[in-house]
Amino acid sequence: MDSKSSDNQNDYRDIPLDPALARQTIMLADVDSADTTFRITTQTDVDNLVLSIQRLGLMHAPVLKHNPPGYVIVCGFRRIAACLNLGWTQVPARVLGKNVGFFEMARLAIADNALQRPLNLVETSRALKLLAGADIEKEALAETAAELGLPLSPAIVPRIKKICDLPRPVQEGILTKVIDLSMALELDRFKPADGQALLRLFAHLKVGLNRQRELLLMLEEISLREEIPIHQLMAEKPLRHILENTEIDRSVKRQKVRTHLRRRRFPMISKAETQYNAFVKQLKLGRNINLMPPKDFEGMTYTMTIRFDNQKELKNLKEKLEEIIRHPGLDKILDG
Amino acid sequence: MRISKLFIDRQVADHPTTRSIQSRLNVSAESVQNAQQVYEAISRAADPVQRGKETLYLTRNKGAFIKKCPGTSHYTCCDYQILHIGTFCYMDCTYCILQTYFHPPILQYFVNHDDLMAELNSVLSRKKILRIGTGEFTDSLIWELWTDVSNLLVQRFAAQKHAVLELKTKTTAIAQLKSLTHNRKTILAWSLNTEHVINTEERATASLSARLKAAARCESWGYPLAFHFDPLIIYDGCEEDYAGVIENLFSHVSADNIVWISLGALRFPPSVKTVIQNRFPDSKIIYEEFITGPDGKMRYFKPLRINIYRKIIACIRKHAPDALVYLCMENDEIWRKSLGFIPADVGGLPHMLDQSAVKHCQLKSDDVP
Repeated sequence: MDSKSSDNQNDYRDIPLDPALARQTIMLADVDSADTTFRITTQTDVDNLVLSIQRLGLMHAPVLKHNPPGYVIVCGFRRIAACLNLGWTQVPARVLGKNVGFFEMARLAIADNALQRPLNLVETSRALKLLAGADIEKEALAETAAELGLPLSPAIVPRIKKICDLPRPVQEGILTKVIDLSMALELDRFKPADGQALLRLFAHLKVGLNRQRELLLMLEEISLREEIPIHQLMAEKPLRHILENTEIDRSVKRQKVRTHLRRRRFPMISKAETQYNAFVKQLKLGRNINLMPPKDFEGMTYTMTIRFDNQKELKNLKEKLEEIIRHPGLDKILDG
Repeated sequence: MRISKLFIDRQVADHPTTRSIQSRLNVSAESVQNAQQVYEAISRAADPVQRGKETLYLTRNKGAFIKKCPGTSHYTCCDYQILHIGTFCYMDCTYCILQTYFHPPILQYFVNHDDLMAELNSVLSRKKILRIGTGEFTDSLIWELWTDVSNLLVQRFAAQKHAVLELKTKTTAIAQLKSLTHNRKTILAWSLNTEHVINTEERATASLSARLKAAARCESWGYPLAFHFDPLIIYDGCEEDYAGVIENLFSHVSADNIVWISLGALRFPPSVKTVIQNRFPDSKIIYEEFITGPDGKMRYFKPLRINIYRKIIACIRKHAPDALVYLCMENDEIWRKSLGFIPADVGGLPHMLDQSAVKHCQLKSDDVP
């Protein structure tokens, strides 16, 4: 909880606080809560904090920067929000001196969060972006990021940094673990209405990354081919009918959605598969014979697998094979 | 498209062909020690494919000038020989596999014509029936503006009786061909498509009507002709459009003068799909029903290919019942279902093409059984 956060002097040991301004009582009306430059936390709920402050008081003063005519919050966004909720008009605060630069304030803001709990991806993104905005040497930046436990890999940092600029629902998708980083960045390619429709679909079906990619690919390619926005495709009756059906469980829904989209994306191939399965059914192969068509029906070579345990079974299968060879359904299969 | 940069391999800086091209191009030239420098300059561009189309590299071909067409496994190949005069193309077709075939793709022209002619002379001296073309790794006629390569080749082929040269193009750069002695040993071939495909997928190429007019002019100069409906692209209304192209074709040229007509449905390595998505986001051709063939290339689902082939073959047959129509890189099943026979029934595809070349180009047919 913020009210119990580690406001210990070690965290701020090398931040030059102006002794004259260090502790003051500030009018809450003068604090600009809308300025989220230094906000790291993604938590917006302050109910617990309100309770804590009511019972124990404000144990750790927020850190503010004087920005005439008011103040900007550097640390303690939730504490300020809780105090406002409690109807306070003023709050004790530590006010940073004029000599404290952007980099030091960024470091404070990140440390206030990162040194007391693991940051989620959105918070990490905000922290990285905040640090990147500081006008300091690359080496010092890397050193600070390491001190604060932020990721350093050149392959991953630019990707994480983008997260905090993604639309709010996509960030929510990451926080609620509906999507991961790579899917979040993928969704950024889409118009907001399409991205949000995809997010809703993934959340509804609770599918993993591979299945998300498969659904996304089919929807995107149908959309591009037919010039229909993805959100409109998803509002089409057959898909809506599956998604809104409360009689079927989620795993059946997933399969139905996938089948529907595959039919929509590859109508001829899907039709051929259905037809093939119908012909194979006519052959009554039984459980010991399996007939596989060439991949995508492209080649001319069919594969038949037969399973047997003894000579008697094999003899029976021989008769079955002869029956299959004579069956008109086989001609239909082989003729494509 | 304009060539905006010329790189010259230091080894060929004083070559007469280099000087000739340089004088015709009028762009700034940079001398380079090796190809790597050029590749790096191309690779640095935001769109290396585009940069490769605007950059010409003059160098020598250190390898073979005559190569067997790579074809593809599992499908019937025509046994064509490629005369390797240069690489890539300044026209910009969405589906062009050359965008990923070369790393990086670059407009490259080989100036060591002495080596080319020596190798060609050696091959021609074998007196075997051969079909040789320059239009596999590049468009045959894009070089007409700056070089005399067609002049050189057409006249060399005119002086022998066993091989034909096929110049395959989407341009109308035929002016230099008019006065050449060719003895019908050079086939002028055009890649044809519907106006819709030309307008949407074949940027900076000549219009259909311009291509057909150019073909008619070449016919009037005595050249035998060939046409390639490749790639056939499936879209709503494509059958009617292709039928219209065929009507148009036979209103311009005589069926008797056509050595062969090839049909090939759109196919491409998966890497081309990514290039199309990045370079041509408005192109929809990759969103039809493709499967991955046994050769790893994306192809239309088989019944779609058979359907379009049948329709087009029927249209061609109405105008030219005897013209040799063949399928490019298809298997026996598709041949049988589209054309009613398989190449092996008539001696194989190379034999079919050789026979047609013998007939139309007056080759000496000693080695065609």
